[in-house]
Amino acid sequence: MTDWPPTGESFPISDPASSSARLERAYRRLVACYPRSFRRENTEEIIAVLLATAREDQRRPSLAEAGDLLRGAARMRLGLTSCPRSVLHAVRLMYLGALAELIALVTLLLSVGRVRSATHAAALRAVGPHASHAVTQQLLARVASTVNVTLIVDVSVMSVAIAGWLVLAWANGKGSPLARVGAIVVCAFYAAVTIEGFSEGSTAYAPAALLAASVAVLAIGIAAVTLLLVKQSWPYYAAHATAL
Amino acid sequence: MTIRPMQEATFLILTALADGSQHGYGIIGEVSDISQGRVRLRAGTLYTALDRLRADGLIDVDREEIVDNRLRRYYRLTPEGGRRLAAEAARLQANARAALQRLNPALGVI
Repeated sequence: MTDWPPTGESFPISDPASSSARLERAYRRLVACYPRSFRRENTEEIIAVLLATAREDQRRPSLAEAGDLLRGAARMRLGLTSCPRSVLHAVRLMYLGALAELIALVTLLLSVGRVRSATHAAALRAVGPHASHAVTQQLLARVASTVNVTLIVDVSVMSVAIAGWLVLAWANGKGSPLARVGAIVVCAFYAAVTIEGFSEGSTAYAPAALLAASVAVLAIGIAAVTLLLVKQSWPYYAAHATAL
Repeated sequence: MTIRPMQEATFLILTALADGSQHGYGIIGEVSDISQGRVRLRAGTLYTALDRLRADGLIDVDREEIVDNRLRRYYRLTPEGGRRLAAEAARLQANARAALQRLNPALGVI
């Protein structure tokens, strides 16, 4: 490669030095997604490995490399690489709980129309065909407003629950003892609400998928809390208790 | 704690460290050699695995060197890591032997 200027099609678009510098900058931007504590110790090393494994003519990180780095960063930020297995599984279950709750919420929103017409029909049956028009209308209005209030409450509770599961999963992954207590309290509260809902007869109108989802969320919650309380989980929380 | 089957990447990383300490890039090369080029660890996967293995007490930092102005950290197997790797290797060997014996009884014990 001594002939200069290069001729025709082999003319380089950019010189190799600057394209490798650009590749390194792109890798650094990806590694910047990792937690600070990891970067302080490992940035230079991981950059060196990335540059060493890059193809000769590579100018930007491949999609697979970027995905791999971002996945690793996410796992570390969620605390999934430094906690014991029991906590790891509990945290995964909590994210699954948030997902199940989200599915339940979407199912509820999709079935609003069905719930409305089911309660409407039930109210009509209850008053019977001989009631006066005014009485029927009054009852229907009351039923409709009760359904609305219930729906608003349910949607609010579910949204808060999704956010709650996500926060608890994240904080438990970090080993926060407070988050563990929080998970236990939330799970107990959720169990109480679910059981109360069943005893009140919400099973009559709610779609089967919604009931299945809420039972699944409860089961996930109980499993997660159990994992947080097994023997292997204690030292992890004890180690973080001092940092509280 | 019950001993669960190891993920292949974990098994290969521990195997790479079994006969001496290695730095990150060295581990990628060793893992590729051991698996006959089949497993090519990516940097993100490697460093999350190393973080995880350190948390589990199976590996530890051996020493640090500066090469070309870059910090190079060497990792080594801990005694616990050695025990777990040996147990996993024995498990895999027993499975493999059973499979080969059943496929070809004449083969006998390998």
